[in-house]
Amino acid sequence: MLSPALLIVCGLFIGGLALGFVGSLGYMPLIGQETFNLDAYRQILLSERFLLSFLLTFHIAFTSTVIASLLALGAALILRQSFLGRSVINFLFQINLTVPHLVGAVGILYLFSQSGVFARLAYEFSLISKPSEFPAMIFDPLAIGIIMQYVWKEIPFIGLILLANMQTIGRDYEAVAQSLGASRWQSFRHVLLPLLMPGLLTSGMIVFAFTFGAYEIPALLGQNYPAALPVLAYQAFTDVDLNARPEALAMAMIIALLSAVMIYGYARFTRRYIRK
Amino acid sequence: MRRNLFANSVIATRLAAFLILLAIMAPLMAKAADKQSFNNWEEVVEAARGGTVNWFMWGGADNINEYVSGYIGSELKDRYDITLKRVGINDTAEAVNIVIGEKQAGVDDAGSVDLIWINGGNFRTMKQGDLLFCGYHSLLPNNKLVNWQDPSIAHDFGLPVDECEVPWNRAQFAFAYDSARTENPPKSIAELIDWVKENPGEFTYPASTDFNGSVFIRHVFYHAAGGPEALLGDFDQEKFDAIAPKAWAILNEMEPYLWREGETYPNAIASLAQLFANREVALYFDYDPAIFGINVENGIFPETTRSYGLQDGTIGNTNYVAIPYNSPNKAATMVAANYLLSFDAQYEKAKSDVWGAAPAIDVSKLDDDAAARFAALPRHPAVIAPEVLAQKSLPELHPDWISAIEKGWQENVGN
Repeated sequence: MLSPALLIVCGLFIGGLALGFVGSLGYMPLIGQETFNLDAYRQILLSERFLLSFLLTFHIAFTSTVIASLLALGAALILRQSFLGRSVINFLFQINLTVPHLVGAVGILYLFSQSGVFARLAYEFSLISKPSEFPAMIFDPLAIGIIMQYVWKEIPFIGLILLANMQTIGRDYEAVAQSLGASRWQSFRHVLLPLLMPGLLTSGMIVFAFTFGAYEIPALLGQNYPAALPVLAYQAFTDVDLNARPEALAMAMIIALLSAVMIYGYARFTRRYIRK
Repeated sequence: MRRNLFANSVIATRLAAFLILLAIMAPLMAKAADKQSFNNWEEVVEAARGGTVNWFMWGGADNINEYVSGYIGSELKDRYDITLKRVGINDTAEAVNIVIGEKQAGVDDAGSVDLIWINGGNFRTMKQGDLLFCGYHSLLPNNKLVNWQDPSIAHDFGLPVDECEVPWNRAQFAFAYDSARTENPPKSIAELIDWVKENPGEFTYPASTDFNGSVFIRHVFYHAAGGPEALLGDFDQEKFDAIAPKAWAILNEMEPYLWREGETYPNAIASLAQLFANREVALYFDYDPAIFGINVENGIFPETTRSYGLQDGTIGNTNYVAIPYNSPNKAATMVAANYLLSFDAQYEKAKSDVWGAAPAIDVSKLDDDAAARFAALPRHPAVIAPEVLAQKSLPELHPDWISAIEKGWQENVGN
């Protein structure tokens, strides 16, 4: 039963990776390059452009993962209580799971750009007199718009995993801790949180890996320099000069490698943390 | 039930055998069709009947998509029984990448791309990789409407066309502004430099990775070089090193007065259109001035939008359609390319409510009646007349020059 899935993974994923790797070594018979070399890697790793792009991409992935995890934890803690209208709130909480990333990005653009809805409101209330006085949150150096989009989209994802976790864990452990004199904070900090940690870290890892390698959101909401790594790689891949192809493929290889290394490191860190 | 199963398995076996046979035969048959050279147009039209054309083209403008899928699609169906499939892409290089991939995989006669809307660097890439079907112009009856004596048609960004592509449109860069808001827009690059300083935050241009951003930067480059003459021909590092610092100095001098103090540049021309539509910037520009009228009609740009060329001229080019070497539908695709050149198709395309694109054919080669119909076409008030714009037209550069300028901008200005 596994074979169709394996075939697709091996054939398309590994096959594509292998072809990309060969291309990144400068092997392009089409333009008469039939030797292997590491020029593309050398060129990329020595360029400031690539370094800045890496830092930006890391910042986007890390910051959105941390913010989304914290907010999702808070939301899950609230949603687990029973209160009036909980099912409505619960529904609203999950609704954006079905909204595609791109649609969310366009929404962010309409709301937060310097001529977006909030800028227009600020103008109506005479807080600003022209678009450029509204704080830049799209195409900005700190990637605020991109992070907002990811946080908005990932909170329900992490939140749902946490809620499911809480359901399995139940309230018994906390009840025991509290009956033994633990405060509400202590029972959360020392009982519930450690139990939730595996779920929180795993979902965080998925979010991190996704945001690190995603192209469309930084392409729509990001500034042109430095651009996020996937955007940089795509720009090189669509360069009209065929000689730029090895660099584009080398960049894609590096993104794949960096994601793999970071996920591996994260997984090791998590495992150690959980064992404690 | 049993019988049924048995019968099914027999059919399945036969089907499998047939499919295997087909798989073996298909390349042979395709090869045979490819080798068959056409003696005259009638043979091409005959072979094209029932064929399909997969046309990969930039899909970012609804009106162009509608013209191609609607008008061209139904005309080809009615006249020649050809099915046109428009495949919208974001960047022409995506289609080029598909053909490159196919060539590397050895797919030499069953490619998935039949026609590409192309010019400039992407044409160079395909020529460089020997990825084009060439030498068929003499077959196309409408080729006689093209003025091949015009160097801006016979050369695509300085590269000889060599019967490897068919002209489709002419385009010339122009600026647009809102006449209700800006009284005296700058009419030359020199004026623009002063204007930007007097109107901080009111101007910006897309980064050099964008097609239109790149051509704006070339105008500044021409200005720094004192005209395009010195830059024509093959790339010359010495000349580049002499001129480039001047151009970067001009652009860096402008930078603090740009939108967002030049901290960032829009990634795409669509973002600049949005900034102009939202009154964040006062000037817009495009390689295809027809877009000004279309944006006014769509309610994106203000009614009072007007456009103009520069005193020293603006850069013009021809854009083409090309057939990849591995297209399995060459006959149908040649018929499509020929039809695109016809008076009917070019006239329809020139209507301002359809597209408003300048024709690639030489109107003076048409009969009087047809030429008069072209001359009588109403023009959108937001769109400068192509004849006026064409009075001062600057040539495009060799793709190597363009690559060097784009890279230089990224390293010296856009970071």
